[in-house]
Amino acid sequence: MSSSHEAALSPDFLAEEVRRYHHFIVLALWLAVVTGAEIVLIFLPIPVAAILTILTLMSAGKFFAVILWFMHLIYDKRLLFWCFFAGLALAFATYAALLMLFSVDRIDTRWFS
Amino acid sequence: MSHDSHHAPVACKTELAPERSDLGLIRPDRTTGLIDWLTTVDHKKIGILYGAFAMFYFLVGGVEALAIRTQLARPDNDFVTARMYNQLFTMHGTTMIFLGVMPLSAAFFNFLVPLQIGARDVAFPRLNAFSLWTFVFGAFVLNASWFFEFAHLAGWFNSFEWHKALVYTDFAPANGWFSYAPLSGTFGQNGQALRFTGVGTDFWIIGIQVLGIASLAASFNFICTIINMRAKGMTMMRLPVFTWMTLVTAVLIILAFPAITVALIELMFDRTFGANFFNPSAGGQPVLWQHLFWIFGHPEVYILVLPAMGIVSEVLPTFSGKSLFGYPIIVFSGAVIGFLGFAVWSHHMFTTGLGPVPTAAFSLLTMAIAVPTGVKIFNWLGTIWGGRIRFTPPMVLALGFIWMFMCGGFSGVMHSAAPADSQQQDSYFVIAHFHYVLLGGVLLGLMAGLYFWFPKIFGRMPNAPIAYIASGLVILGFNVAFGPMHYLGLAGQPRRTHTYHAGNGWEQWNYVATIGAYILGIGVALAFVNLVWTAFRGKKCSNDPWDGRTLEWSLPSPVPEYNFAQAPIVATRDAFFEDKHGSKRIGSEPDGGEAGVHMPSQSWMPLVASAGFLFIGFGMPMMAMHVPHAGWLVIGGLGVLFLGIWLWALEGPGGYMLKTPAASGTPVPTETAAH
Amino acid sequence: MSDTAAAHEAPTSTGIDHKKLIMWLFLASDCMFFGTLISTHLLYRKLFPAGFTDAEGHQRFIQNLFNIELTSFSTFILLMSSFLMALAVSAMHKGQIKSFRRNVLGVIFFGLIFLGCQVYEFTHFYHEGLTIQNSVLGSTFYVLTGTHGTHVAIGVLWLIMMYFYSFTGKLGGHMGALDVEIAGLYWHFVDIVWIIIFTAVYLVEYLGPNGIWGTGLPAVAK
Repeated sequence: MSSSHEAALSPDFLAEEVRRYHHFIVLALWLAVVTGAEIVLIFLPIPVAAILTILTLMSAGKFFAVILWFMHLIYDKRLLFWCFFAGLALAFATYAALLMLFSVDRIDTRWFS
Repeated sequence: MSHDSHHAPVACKTELAPERSDLGLIRPDRTTGLIDWLTTVDHKKIGILYGAFAMFYFLVGGVEALAIRTQLARPDNDFVTARMYNQLFTMHGTTMIFLGVMPLSAAFFNFLVPLQIGARDVAFPRLNAFSLWTFVFGAFVLNASWFFEFAHLAGWFNSFEWHKALVYTDFAPANGWFSYAPLSGTFGQNGQALRFTGVGTDFWIIGIQVLGIASLAASFNFICTIINMRAKGMTMMRLPVFTWMTLVTAVLIILAFPAITVALIELMFDRTFGANFFNPSAGGQPVLWQHLFWIFGHPEVYILVLPAMGIVSEVLPTFSGKSLFGYPIIVFSGAVIGFLGFAVWSHHMFTTGLGPVPTAAFSLLTMAIAVPTGVKIFNWLGTIWGGRIRFTPPMVLALGFIWMFMCGGFSGVMHSAAPADSQQQDSYFVIAHFHYVLLGGVLLGLMAGLYFWFPKIFGRMPNAPIAYIASGLVILGFNVAFGPMHYLGLAGQPRRTHTYHAGNGWEQWNYVATIGAYILGIGVALAFVNLVWTAFRGKKCSNDPWDGRTLEWSLPSPVPEYNFAQAPIVATRDAFFEDKHGSKRIGSEPDGGEAGVHMPSQSWMPLVASAGFLFIGFGMPMMAMHVPHAGWLVIGGLGVLFLGIWLWALEGPGGYMLKTPAASGTPVPTETAAH
Repeated sequence: MSDTAAAHEAPTSTGIDHKKLIMWLFLASDCMFFGTLISTHLLYRKLFPAGFTDAEGHQRFIQNLFNIELTSFSTFILLMSSFLMALAVSAMHKGQIKSFRRNVLGVIFFGLIFLGCQVYEFTHFYHEGLTIQNSVLGSTFYVLTGTHGTHVAIGVLWLIMMYFYSFTGKLGGHMGALDVEIAGLYWHFVDIVWIIIFTAVYLVEYLGPNGIWGTGLPAVAK
């Protein structure tokens, strides 16, 4: 990969780095805005289900924005995305199933409160 | 290259001039003997060390098994105490799984994967050494609990204050290999952390944690190696099946082990710091431990069996003189087994009362796993069908694998039906099932692998008559030992009970099972003696004694340090077989010529870093024993670990150049790829 | 920083550097790691929405302990540290070592602020009566956020070492940029884990009159 370093300082490469630099700044602003919106959202008098849905979407959006741009997945080889996504999807599916298995109606919590 | 050494290429590393690392310390590159083995980064030597330790622990676990069977030979026996019995079956299971099968599989991964993909080493050679030594220290900590137990029984601790304060004095783990909470956990309010068991459980927790770190580090390394270091032309669908199964196993390890890592952290917090994760008197749910354990534990079953399946998929085509039948399907079903392995964990927990919907779902998914497994069996049968079969020792063992593993599979499918399983739960039927899978499957597969690749590893051929006798004894003894357990289980004999009364109708078959266990023990011991003798004194053999199919057989035996003098270019699956008998030749890349082959430098740092785990491993249980100042041992261990990693990072990768025979003037036949 | 001995010269089969690939594999594995911790916390919240009982025997709701201003501040700090880390990696790609040092110092500083907030939060909660020992909630909360904090601390240590290493002149070229990028991947991952924790552990407690987990009363009445 050392050959790519010689190419690293070519004008094209620098232009690309500058373009990414601007992406990063825009993304940082968006992350701040979305986080602010999340904090406002939880105090709004709208149904809890709606808030929860929007919150989930917002944090998923932030999550993927960071892995795609800050962590360069959108610029890198596709394989890296699938490597990570495999772990992420498996974790999500496994623990969603686990949470469903722990339904309150089958566990008597009376003794402990 | 900036990182290359200042050395001129040499023919042997002992001719190197001493070189200092970036830290100013002299690199142990030129060493031989013990220091060479302690600092090696050569995947072949690491593989041999893994294999040696694994075989030792196989024998330890085997002795534990024989003690169990001796105790159960007749009713109301008192060969061992009830507590010692619990410790024996706990350590037998833990030893066989984590210190026997997994490291022996790792030995094959290490030795074979770079050779099969045409690489000169793994992606991270020092990380590989770190995995090995972390495993060694983790295994040592786990088994050190026996020394504490015997020291306690001998009364050596009696004069110590901390010993008088102990409520429970079991020093070796006695919770079963799954350490179910609350038995392994705590009870009581507000951090009282009252316990049901002694420090054996703490030894188990830290031992498994350290072994998990070793497996995780090794697996990251192997995935990276297989994906990134394939020779030219070695596409994913030309990989030998063993390498494919290594990849699937490594993926399973990196995704399954975090669950047990966290579960162990939580259990450790419960026991050491009075947390309430699994504490029933504070609302903790012991059943959560079962879930987390089996989220790891079920993929673990496939972590154990897939490497053996890979080995069998190499042995059968070689001795049938045919290519593997349905290669893409074998690979695909291996991956499907791995994937589905994550979706069936609760079938170990049918009797906990999951509710009808989850029970049905896990039942169905468990039945679904039988499909790709069955596909593999048929593919193996298709491979030997119509072949010119040579009944060599590895072939005998591989054929034994097919039908023994199939028997285990049949009883496995029986367990997938929840109503039947609730009758079989915790009975000897389950013991029979998983020993057919793990012994009839995994052990026979691994033994086949040992007999198959020993000539490559040491350049010496094991004695065939002894090998046949040993294989026969293993297969016979194993069936005599575990076949009757199907009956005993259905007749109601429970697992994990140290004895039974006469008059239940269990006496006869228990006696038979014990006889079988001793036959099995003699068989395994004979095979290991045969192999160890071969390693040092066996008859020298040619580089390709079996008419092998994959790249490792194209190399000299034993394999030179740099593996391939010239990196191969592969044009087909079973590249070496095609090269010998077909039309497609193995090509070779032009090497550095006089510059030689780049070799990674040896290093002390992986050993130093993993030595930290030794201190942590002893410190944690000693904290639980309330030995004064034991906490400093843990902190010191973390310090050693950190120091080792830090120096490792700063010493620089180093490296030196080794002359190959071609570069030093010996002609090596080179062929170009035919079109 | 690490050993890709043979890899310096040989291009890899996929064109991806070994170090980058192994880091992404580690992060995939870490998803399962944090998944286990987060789901442990959530399933106990679901079972015991009532919070915990403090030393005086008062029933306490966790949402009354939370300080949304403080948590939002530390979340913002961590997001911005992630931004600076991206700039540090970018600077390293362009070979601007001074810009790299400035940015990485900012990341370290922000990381330390985050850790400071966490120390303050833990101390505060402890004095309010939530301990690791007196309830399941205390166990899951402290172990989950504490494990995340440990990850942050390791990241800070890593970056401090990299900062000083950059003065030796050995941190340069393609391999140097790669080493920084790997540290960056780790840092960003710690950040995205916090994005999830911020929502799943903190924000949801504010929904509805008594938190998302229910009435604040035991699930099964006495």
